[in-house]
Amino acid sequence: MSWNAPQKVIFPRWVDPLVKLAGAGAVLGGAYVAMLVAYGASPKTLDVGYAPEQPVPYSHTLHVGQLGLDCRYCHTSVERGPHANVPPTATCMNCHTKVLTESPQLAPVRESAQTGKPIPWVRVHDLPDYVYFDHSAHVTRGIGCVSCHGRVDTMDIVQQVATLSMAWCIDCHRHPERHLRPPEEATNMTWAPPGGGSVEAREAFGRQFRLDHKINPPTDCSTCHR
Amino acid sequence: MPPWVKPLGVTVAFLAMIPFAVIARARVTASPDPRIHIIRDMDNQAYFKAQSSNPLFADGRAMRPPVPGTVARGEDELDDHRYRGTTPDGATYVDAFPEGLTVDAALLERGRGRYQVFCAPCHGVAGYGDGPVHHQALAAINRGRPGMEWVTPTSLHAENVRGFQVGRIFHVITNGVRNMAPYGAQVPVDDRWAIAAYVKALQASQRTED
Ligand code: HEC
Ligand code: HEC
Ligand code: HEC
Ligand code: HEC
Ligand code: HEC
Ligand code: HEC
Repeated sequence: MSWNAPQKVIFPRWVDPLVKLAGAGAVLGGAYVAMLVAYGASPKTLDVGYAPEQPVPYSHTLHVGQLGLDCRYCHTSVERGPHANVPPTATCMNCHTKVLTESPQLAPVRESAQTGKPIPWVRVHDLPDYVYFDHSAHVTRGIGCVSCHGRVDTMDIVQQVATLSMAWCIDCHRHPERHLRPPEEATNMTWAPPGGGSVEAREAFGRQFRLDHKINPPTDCSTCHR
Repeated sequence: MPPWVKPLGVTVAFLAMIPFAVIARARVTASPDPRIHIIRDMDNQAYFKAQSSNPLFADGRAMRPPVPGTVARGEDELDDHRYRGTTPDGATYVDAFPEGLTVDAALLERGRGRYQVFCAPCHGVAGYGDGPVHHQALAAINRGRPGMEWVTPTSLHAENVRGFQVGRIFHVITNGVRNMAPYGAQVPVDDRWAIAAYVKALQASQRTED
């Protein structure tokens, strides 16, 4: 065998259509991976529905839905500052010194009240640290809790319902109409404008409210990245 | 084409659907598992946000509470009328509002809103001591749940409570009384005066004799 006559590899004839198939497969496979990543890594998949287990099985369904407590009874700073506080143990003890004082579920609350150590609540919502968010700017300007946190009054365990992505913020900053309501109703989970709860009625109310109150959510970068 | 190509293609196509099905399910169910956080960028920076935890301190608080015995700077909280609802010697409750606070429709409206948030759960919207928390507590007692030491919230239209000066109502809100917890930490000073004003108005509105 001489050096300039290499042996030919002879593929069987049925390989021919497979070559075309492999080409199609590579294209399809690429598209497949791209779709999988877009779908699987979107904030809707990764961030929504996070509902961590809490150290005390505190239920908003019971305390808000049934007892009718207003959000601001506990989250007192929500209208006054950027941060919405999780209530201190003393707020629970307003009632739980008299209510269910032997409940094992409340043992960590009693212990915290005695020792002064805070209850280690697990944070549910968490924006990246380079984003500036302000609760009071929203709540006092006609955006209700329900627009961003969903029906908390029916949640036994709080879960995140919005993506908190930049697109989500900007969408509303461009078109806040359907979310607007009188600021007194900010904590009302079921508020609807006089015309009913349909999207059209909300938008009609929102358009008028926006004009009357000069609501103009900014969209420049420095609003949220400062 | 060999016979195994077609079944292989079908199998691959089928298996390829599984990740989508898993993701579609994950999108509609809540989960206590920590979020998957792929690209971390500068999402968590080396500073503490409000109410976050800091393992350096024994109690784990990053926000440090004031050292016991800390006093506010300035003369502000020395004003007994405004901050305690009493005369300067602390002997009697005042029956007037502090300086700089005008009792007008706006103040009463503010008071009404705050009353509904902080007082109505126990004392009821109309003040008769029959709020939803009271009813729930009675129901829990009836169900025989242990550890119920519930005390009926006083009706704000009881004879003696009607006679309270605004300063005394302010004082009750700020410091609590017997079985009622203090609300000074939850309600800012001006809002407490607004509630006191509203309680007075509520009492007047429910007064039928004289
Ligand atoms: C009796 C007190 C109380 C009331 C009233 C209350 N909450 Fe809460 N809330 C808590 C506590 C305690 C937590 C922390 C534990 C948890 O996440 O379940 C919390 C957590 C939350 C969280 C999640 C915080 C996080 O970590 O991201 C949201 C959102 C929230 N509450 C919204 C509301 C809204 C909206 C209302 C009114 C409809 C409301 N809460 C009423 C006590 C209260
Ligand atoms: C305004 C009064 C009030 C406040 C404030 C309050 N609770 Fe409650 N809570 C109740 C009542 C009333 C019940 C009993 C309901 C029943 O069993 O019918 C209850 C029940 C509970 C239970 C269920 C206990 C069991 O054994 O069934 C837990 C857990 C609880 N509360 C946690 C908390 C925590 C944590 C806080 C503070 C963030 C808090 N509560 C603040 C009134 C209150
Ligand atoms: C415009 C949207 C929006 C509205 C309206 C809104 N929130 Fe929030 N809330 C957020 C975002 C975003 C976060 C996460 C903030 C962060 O990570 O710094 C958050 C966080 C919270 C937290 C947890 C704070 C923490 O850091 O642990 C509580 C409690 C809360 N909100 C309660 C409320 C209540 C009560 C209302 C209504 C009075 C309300 N929010 C209205 C968007 C909103
Ligand atoms: C449901 C609608 C809605 C969503 C969602 C929303 N915003 Fe807003 N935002 C508003 C409205 C309305 C205002 C008030 C505009 C005004 O006062 O004219 C506002 C105001 C603000 C302000 C204050 C601007 C200023 O200087 O007065 C900041 C900061 C802000 N938003 C940040 C955010 C961030 C960050 C997010 C996402 C995490 C977000 N917002 C999501 C509606 C929304
Ligand atoms: C209404 C509030 C808001 C405004 C206005 C805004 N952003 Fe953002 N931005 C956010 C939020 C919230 C996030 C975090 C998103 C997340 O967690 O995925 C973010 C994230 C980002 C990121 C990081 C993205 C990533 O995934 O790493 C960049 C870069 C950014 N913003 C640039 C900008 C620029 C440039 C502008 C001006 C054109 C702008 N932003 C205006 C709210 C805002
Ligand atoms: C958790 C339930 C609860 C809440 C909320 C509450 N109270 Fe009370 N309140 C009580 C109870 C119980 C008593 C009776 C105390 C006793 O006699 O031991 C009482 C008594 C009173 C009294 C009569 C005091 C006296 O000297 O006889 C007044 C006035 C009063 N409350 C006003 C208020 C105001 C104003 C608020 C709102 C800031 C409020 N309360 C919120 C439970 C509550």
